[in-house]
Amino acid sequence: MLKDNLQKALASLGLEKVAEGDYAKTGYHLEVTAEPTQMVDVAQAMLDAGCFLESFTAVDMVEAFDLVYHFASFDELCRTAVHVPLGKKKGMYTISQIYPGADWYEREVFDLFGIHFFNHPNLKRLLLPEDADFHPLLKDFGAGQGND
Amino acid sequence: MIELLGLEEKTYTLNLGPQHPSTHGVLRVLLEMDGEFITQAEPVIGYGHRGHEHMAENRNYAQFLPNLGRVDYLHALAYNQCYCMAVEKLLGLTVPERGEYIRVITNELNRISSHLLWFGAYLLDLGAFTPIMYCFDDREHILDLLDRITGSRLTYCFYRFGGVPMDIDDDFVAGCRAFAKRLRSRWSDYDNLVTKNVIFINRARDVGLITRDQCVKYGITGPTLRGSGISYDLRKSEPYSAYPEFNFEIPIGTRGDIFDRYLVRLAEMEQSLRIIEQACDKLPNGPIMAEKVPKRIKPAVGEVYQGVETARGEFGMYVVSQGDVKPYRIKLRTPSFANLSLFPELAVDTLVADLVAILGSIDVVIPEIDR
Amino acid sequence: MEQVAQLMGSAGARMIVGLIGVITLVSVNALFLILVERKVSGHMQRRPGPMEVGPHGVLQSLADALKLMGKELITPEEVDKPIYWLAPIVVFLPVLLSFLVIPFSQTMIIRDMNVGIVLILAFSTLAVLAILMAGWSSNNKYSVFGAIRSVAQNVAYEIPLLITIMSIIIMVGSFKLSDIVAAQSRYWFILVQPLAFILFIICATAETNRAPFDLPEAESELVAGFHTEYSGMRFALFFLAEYTNMFIVSAVATVLFLGGWQGPFLPGVVWFLIKVYAIIFLLMWFRWTFPRVRFDQLVTFAWKILIPLAFVNLLITAFVLKLR
Repeated sequence: MLKDNLQKALASLGLEKVAEGDYAKTGYHLEVTAEPTQMVDVAQAMLDAGCFLESFTAVDMVEAFDLVYHFASFDELCRTAVHVPLGKKKGMYTISQIYPGADWYEREVFDLFGIHFFNHPNLKRLLLPEDADFHPLLKDFGAGQGND
Repeated sequence: MIELLGLEEKTYTLNLGPQHPSTHGVLRVLLEMDGEFITQAEPVIGYGHRGHEHMAENRNYAQFLPNLGRVDYLHALAYNQCYCMAVEKLLGLTVPERGEYIRVITNELNRISSHLLWFGAYLLDLGAFTPIMYCFDDREHILDLLDRITGSRLTYCFYRFGGVPMDIDDDFVAGCRAFAKRLRSRWSDYDNLVTKNVIFINRARDVGLITRDQCVKYGITGPTLRGSGISYDLRKSEPYSAYPEFNFEIPIGTRGDIFDRYLVRLAEMEQSLRIIEQACDKLPNGPIMAEKVPKRIKPAVGEVYQGVETARGEFGMYVVSQGDVKPYRIKLRTPSFANLSLFPELAVDTLVADLVAILGSIDVVIPEIDR
Repeated sequence: MEQVAQLMGSAGARMIVGLIGVITLVSVNALFLILVERKVSGHMQRRPGPMEVGPHGVLQSLADALKLMGKELITPEEVDKPIYWLAPIVVFLPVLLSFLVIPFSQTMIIRDMNVGIVLILAFSTLAVLAILMAGWSSNNKYSVFGAIRSVAQNVAYEIPLLITIMSIIIMVGSFKLSDIVAAQSRYWFILVQPLAFILFIICATAETNRAPFDLPEAESELVAGFHTEYSGMRFALFFLAEYTNMFIVSAVATVLFLGGWQGPFLPGVVWFLIKVYAIIFLLMWFRWTFPRVRFDQLVTFAWKILIPLAFVNLLITAFVLKLR
């Protein structure tokens, strides 16, 4: 069972939380919380188990960021959500060397939230113009701000 | 020899787009070329960024519903469905059976119209001017059908939290059956004109190969994935709505080239017809909206990830609620975003003509990448 | 002196009348073909085509021509002006000159030269030069691309064209077009040279840059290829040249394979035109049915398949003639 294998693999990484999710309410089978430094190992464990990166985004929780990774598998239904709390002025480690698909997701998070990713191969803005000086999805960014 | 003459071989930069007849939307691809061969291709996106995710944080849940139709206008009903299902999960609502059936029928009709448009536009990219006319002719019938109950031809906003607002009548069901019959009679036309055309086969066979490893590393979903032989379709892998009650297959390819992806989409249209016919046969009576839908949509604190299978792949919505009337955060996980990120790897060492063919076979819709 | 005057008189008068006739024919033909193309393509695509202007849209081409003539001649700033201006003219002239030797009927031929067919082939090659001029001078990477493709394509497909025509020539024993027509008085050459006919039609489609060989103007890849930067009347000249070229190659096909102007009851020129337009219809049919061939496949097709086939055809023809 993929879920059990994943739980075992993730439990050995010493993460803050590896728990079963309430699928009917949230759509997750596994809920995981990790430190930023541990994310690369988590991603490697997910790739070794054959999961693909379904989505990656950030949520601005005012005092800190919450980076949310979703992994799923082609062969068996098992969705894993990984939450990584990140301090406001901190940077994050890229997982694009493991999942090349994360490249664009991380660029988008950089573009919309301003979170820097260490060792990213091409950390440029993705959606906004390259010379924009604002990050629109931050909670203190109001409508009508930013340069034209 | 060239060094002896004091000349140097350099690559040159060519800009494909943003205004270009065959980048499906406003996409710019920065090409480094060596003669007709591509050495590097970098998509530049964001020309259509409208800030949907920001809009989501500034509207209440119901007000965000029309936005979904503009994210991917070709298969808007699936996007509607995903959002409605996500919020229904947060609210704990159950959609009655008839409502689910109506959702499935309209969704599958929309899927067929999206695939038909892809078919026509893709062949137009390859230089065949006629198939798009045939496809649009067929598509008109779908648009007429959906127009009758949803009120729109393209950017639908038909589903509501808890069900659907309008019921379908016998005319609509009869129209669906007539359409299914008509489309089935056209398969031989498409076969003769395109599938068996040796020029098309030569351009599509063994071009644009996608491996399973690439699919896992980039998160490829949809017909692009299924062309490579991986049978992952959310309607079967993570069943939702009324799909478990229908008999249908998930067509997959064998080699992962353009021709397999093309065949997968054609076969999917046939499977959608099967679903529609079964749904029309088994359509239950009953209410179309859930009973206790709150007037003010104020979900409890929590988060949900909901995925649906659209014509392009898996569309997922990650909704974070803090107990307010407005969502705290909505992330739109669009299939074309992941699928296009594989494109630079596929484009190396191809010819320009193949580049256009590969880009078309991935079936991207730029507005859903830019959001 | 007076002999020269006499010679000048008849041949010169013939030239002038012929020139006027040709220009009229070219203009009317282009107008007619544009409409036919749009109507044919419309009906093949289950739609009626132009219907507004005139009964069933017959005046559409006239409206289009008037519109094109009235458009502003925009010259982009960075183009190479002399070559940019010359290119449309150079693309049009050789095609016009090819009309000199086409036999419309037994007597309607402007100048029945001994090297008739060779003249046509020589002039059709000049069109490639014009395309290269257009593509280069436009100062636009897409245009250069289109021009390069066109050169490679034209060169590649001319060779099987020449070899195929040689098969017919050795049957007739003369380059004169009127001789070729006369040699078909008992049976048309298409009956004895079906392979040559097929090869000729394929090469002719490639020579005129028509689909499925329309890479030089591949809209979905190169915007508009070598004539991206041309608008208004200059674009009209390219367009005109393409349709006139189609007429020429169809006329050559008629002369070589379908017996030229020969046929019962109707006057020769009517039969000639019927046959020419039948082949043009065939070329149009190709365009609306097939997708585009990829460039390397196109060149491979020419060099590895068509040229050997053309050679085989030539050898068989020579063999059969020798045995007779």
